[in-house]
Amino acid sequence: MTAFSFLADMTSVLELAGVDKIYPGPPPVTALNNVNVSIAAGDLVAIVGPSGAGKSTLLHMMGALDRPTAGTISIEGTDIASLSDRRLSGLRSHRIGFVFQDFFLINGITAMANVAEGLIYRGLGRGERTRRAQVALERVGLGARLRHLPNQLSGGERQRVAIARALVGDPAIVLADEPTGNLDSHTSEEIAQLFAGLNADGTTIVVITHDKDLAARFPRMIEMRDGALREAE
Amino acid sequence: MRSRLRFFDAIGLGIRGLSSRVARAVLTATGIAIGIAAIVAVLGISASGRADLLATLDELGTNLLRVEPGAGIFGNADEVPEEAADMTLRIRPVQQVTATTRAEATVRRNDLIPELETSGIAVLAADNDLLDVLRASMQHGRFIDDATAQVPTMVLGPVAAQRLGITDLNPIPRVYVDGTWFTVIGITAEMEIHPDLERSAVIGYPVAAKLFETTRSPTTIYVRASQEFIDDVAEVLPATVNPEQPDAVQVSRPSDALDARRAADEALTNLLIGLGAVALLVAGVAIANIMVISVLERRMEIGVRRAIGATRGHIRLQFLIESMLLAGIGGVLGIALGAAITIGYAASRDLTLAVPPQGLALSVLAALAIGAIAGLYPAIRASRIPPAEAVRK
Repeated sequence: MTAFSFLADMTSVLELAGVDKIYPGPPPVTALNNVNVSIAAGDLVAIVGPSGAGKSTLLHMMGALDRPTAGTISIEGTDIASLSDRRLSGLRSHRIGFVFQDFFLINGITAMANVAEGLIYRGLGRGERTRRAQVALERVGLGARLRHLPNQLSGGERQRVAIARALVGDPAIVLADEPTGNLDSHTSEEIAQLFAGLNADGTTIVVITHDKDLAARFPRMIEMRDGALREAE
Repeated sequence: MRSRLRFFDAIGLGIRGLSSRVARAVLTATGIAIGIAAIVAVLGISASGRADLLATLDELGTNLLRVEPGAGIFGNADEVPEEAADMTLRIRPVQQVTATTRAEATVRRNDLIPELETSGIAVLAADNDLLDVLRASMQHGRFIDDATAQVPTMVLGPVAAQRLGITDLNPIPRVYVDGTWFTVIGITAEMEIHPDLERSAVIGYPVAAKLFETTRSPTTIYVRASQEFIDDVAEVLPATVNPEQPDAVQVSRPSDALDARRAADEALTNLLIGLGAVALLVAGVAIANIMVISVLERRMEIGVRRAIGATRGHIRLQFLIESMLLAGIGGVLGIALGAAITIGYAASRDLTLAVPPQGLALSVLAALAIGAIAGLYPAIRASRIPPAEAVRK
């Protein structure tokens, strides 16, 4: 997608080395146990596993929403342990896009305003935010739904708005936590196709899902069990 | 790579947060509105009222003493020396003296009304300079002068005139005083601190002496003295006006009544402002309470905002602005309400409207400060929610 994609191909966007996450008890819970994983630019990765396996915790670590108990996490070569909370926020606003299972859209404002909200912490003017939001909505196939309110949209459309919001800031990586968890199988299929299309354009995407059929369609699949990873071939 | 939130975007977030729960916002702001309205109305009404009271005090002066030489329980008005008023003038700081003496007579509208129906109007013989010393004025006609003091003419106080059914001097009214028809040549204006004079019919000393055998022995002496020695003058007056029975002399200061009213007004005002302040305090607690609930309800939103790049400071700012807007809206509503109450009250009482503008500005600032203080704890709490926990399903 970009002129630097050849460069990006060689570097990893995300690097986790020996990452542990232990929630202090009592009793202490080990959510992640010595996780090592590397996500390269242009990857489309599915992380599967039963609930409680630590998938969400892993995604939060990848997105700099949380810090590990041990080990190092590097995002585009920067060790996040060295960053203050403010710097982490800055990193999230510029380099990371999140998609949540429940969409988390703001009711009462249009799809375009919801997507533009993804840029509000970038200090951009309203006009620029709206312009980019329109582009992002067109990318996810909602060019005709710009001025609809969330409650006028179907579940699949709402998730597309949420995906557009994650894409609007041109992030290095999009992290999706069970994006099809609330959708029927047909709509899930559409969302999977959308991710594949976006990835073909060069977007790096990591998707958590417990739907093995969905995951099987992705080029790379990582299985999680009891906080540990096992790469599937 | 830094997160940045534009100032107007931050305000916009606050407005949106409130507008998504309008009923709650209105109810919460009402508390502040009531507190501010109470304070503004109390300040406005008391300022308006006080402006008039102070003007009256200024006009009448506080250096007037009222002396009743024979009014005490040992007193016998007959024994008060006739030269009492003249003696008073010899006290050095005394500037003006005037006297009145009660005449043994009754006023009736005409000779057909029975003698016992006096309407409670006293007939007083007075010096020509009575109004001058009291700084009172005429409503209709003129006061008694050297010429009219000799003949049956009379000046009525406003209450006396009303009781006799006399509203103006056209046609010239006459009243019947113990066998003689008196011509009414004037009606005095209201005399707030001399209610006894408002109920009196005033005639000249010469005609009183001729018709009713009234002596110069005064019932009441009015003394104006220089302000700084007023207490000293009051101290020597009893022995001066009635050397034989100084204990029978009563000295009072008519303006004290106004002063006391002002003090009472002030105490009441302070009490009401205190109540308004308590209302504001309660409203502040209500805002804090609502904001804490709001933070709990909006955990998800906070998580999503953190995920799209909000710093802790941005979250804190958002809730702080929301809380200040809430209080600010309440403050503005309260000022409007309070001002309306003041204007209505001042209009109904014919008072000079005096709403202190710095008071209004201060009220808005107070409301904003309350909002900031009330919102501080919820805002800090919101900013401390770990983002990963906030977005957890």
